[in-house]
Amino acid sequence: MFIRPFYGSQPTTVTYTASRRHLLHAAVATSLFGLTGGCSRSNAGRKVLVVGAGLSGLNAALTLERWGYEVEVVEGKDRVGGRLWTLDHVPGSPEGGGNVIGANYGRVIHTAHTLEVPLRTPPRALPSDYAIGGQRISRQDWAASAHNPLPEGWRSISPGRLVGKLNEDNPLLKTRAWHDPALMAADQPADEGLRALGFPEAAIRLINANNSYGNNLSDTSLMALYRVMGEFGRLSGPSLAVVEAAAGNMRLPEAMAAQLTRPVATGKTVKQISQSAAGVQATLSSGRTIEADAALLAVPVPALRQIALDMPQPHQAALNGVDYHKIVQLHCVVDSPFWEASGWGGSWWTDGLLGRVFTRPMPDSERYNMTIWINGDSCDSLNALDDENCTHTILQALWKLVPSAQEVTSVGQLVRWTNDPFAGGSWALWGPGQAGSAHAAIRAPAGRLFFAGEHTAEAYRGMEAAMESGERAALEIMRALT
Amino acid sequence: MTRSIHHIALMLSVTCLAIPTVRSEPLSGKQLYDIACEACHSLGSAPDHRVGPPLGNLLGRKAAAIEGYRYSEALRASEWVWTLPTLLAWLSDPDTAIPNNAMNYVNALTAEESQRLAEWLLQQT
Repeated sequence: MFIRPFYGSQPTTVTYTASRRHLLHAAVATSLFGLTGGCSRSNAGRKVLVVGAGLSGLNAALTLERWGYEVEVVEGKDRVGGRLWTLDHVPGSPEGGGNVIGANYGRVIHTAHTLEVPLRTPPRALPSDYAIGGQRISRQDWAASAHNPLPEGWRSISPGRLVGKLNEDNPLLKTRAWHDPALMAADQPADEGLRALGFPEAAIRLINANNSYGNNLSDTSLMALYRVMGEFGRLSGPSLAVVEAAAGNMRLPEAMAAQLTRPVATGKTVKQISQSAAGVQATLSSGRTIEADAALLAVPVPALRQIALDMPQPHQAALNGVDYHKIVQLHCVVDSPFWEASGWGGSWWTDGLLGRVFTRPMPDSERYNMTIWINGDSCDSLNALDDENCTHTILQALWKLVPSAQEVTSVGQLVRWTNDPFAGGSWALWGPGQAGSAHAAIRAPAGRLFFAGEHTAEAYRGMEAAMESGERAALEIMRALT
Repeated sequence: MTRSIHHIALMLSVTCLAIPTVRSEPLSGKQLYDIACEACHSLGSAPDHRVGPPLGNLLGRKAAAIEGYRYSEALRASEWVWTLPTLLAWLSDPDTAIPNNAMNYVNALTAEESQRLAEWLLQQT
């Protein structure tokens, strides 16, 4: 095996300089925070503890600060950003976490613009070929290939686009009300739903192989697929291309954190939050306590479940029922385009252990970033291995698919969100029967406890969902605290 | 039994905490705009980096009237004119008001807050 782990295995710690923070503070105070004449002095003295320094917690914290609240943000990781994680130690700085800023991510785009975080159109991933049942199939041969398992009428659809067929009759192209009781017939297991809609078994099996919105189709609500596809459907068009932060998406939460009056306290794990008529008291694992008038829990549900909270039982039960998506990523650096001699495009869609392989040119370099992206229950066996054996297993599968990759490919970073105690997975999943009730239950305020995070958002998913949820939570807190 | 009593006591204590304090002043129109609108809509008259169109001088303006902004076909065809009733209907549920529009927004405001916000927005020039 040829592995050159010449990059660090841990993310770098980001530090801020006072001059940069103060400069930005002065520059954007008026435009972003509207402090001039807008601050309500009656809020002075009201303190909010924000747990979690991802986009949702930071957006809420900034909103509360600019309206006069005292805010203290604590974060369990040793960095801000949550599930944004730019791999700065890997050439090309690939994204180990949130990687797509949609064209309609208004809050993300405006915040980046105001905080002078440059955005750019990302390099496109190279064309994808296929490996089905261990057989390699070129993209040109897909429709006619004997290894294409799809029946007539479906054979020209690439595996990654099969689920897009849902948009031929998707109720969520017309409405954002994805938990509207009138639509609950679609809140059923996705495999059964797809079957009822006429999807052939081979198509269902291929969708299941790389489903990003459930760990398997039986545990995925068809409504969750409608929701995602509806979002994509409304965004189609060449003028609505996605963007990314030019220096890495993590620069955005870093810039947001730098605006806070009180620096984010990183590396602080909250173990318990109690509440009384007088306020909330959080106990950190260090034993230190923090008192505040309200607490905003802006962390993923698996991390939230590690905190002892005073909450009504139905709320706790709803939290216990939320599953998270499993993703294993192996980020590699490729020195030369080994695929060209064989006529391959450089990326692969497989129904095997490798999942999908996304390769894209490294800006200002002749090298490439290759991300092996494995979804769902396929991650279970990999997550049971230690880092070295997990990496080894994935690479063996890559060498088997394309032996010529071996001599020019180096390992940059293994990313396993499920094994991260502060994440527990990549994003919240909505199983059959959950769209109608669980979503509303997990975001409802419980006394002095408020909730944010992409899992609580109504309109969006991803980074914009985090921002949307922080906005809504700040509103709830401002309503509650005079 | 002890567990049940504890459970009931916990439920009662949380129930009593449902509203931490009673706010003496409702959120102002400016606050509501700042929190719920400003990231996507300026109060100017020309499109900028924001994903939504500007909202300055909104009262009496025909929908989809800002030159240079890429509106949805649905909004362009709507023939709506922005007044308090139309703005409230739009804020309440954009999908019902003008189906197939491009604004991806679910209103988190109360009816009173929407009213206050709409009145404030229509005063901005």
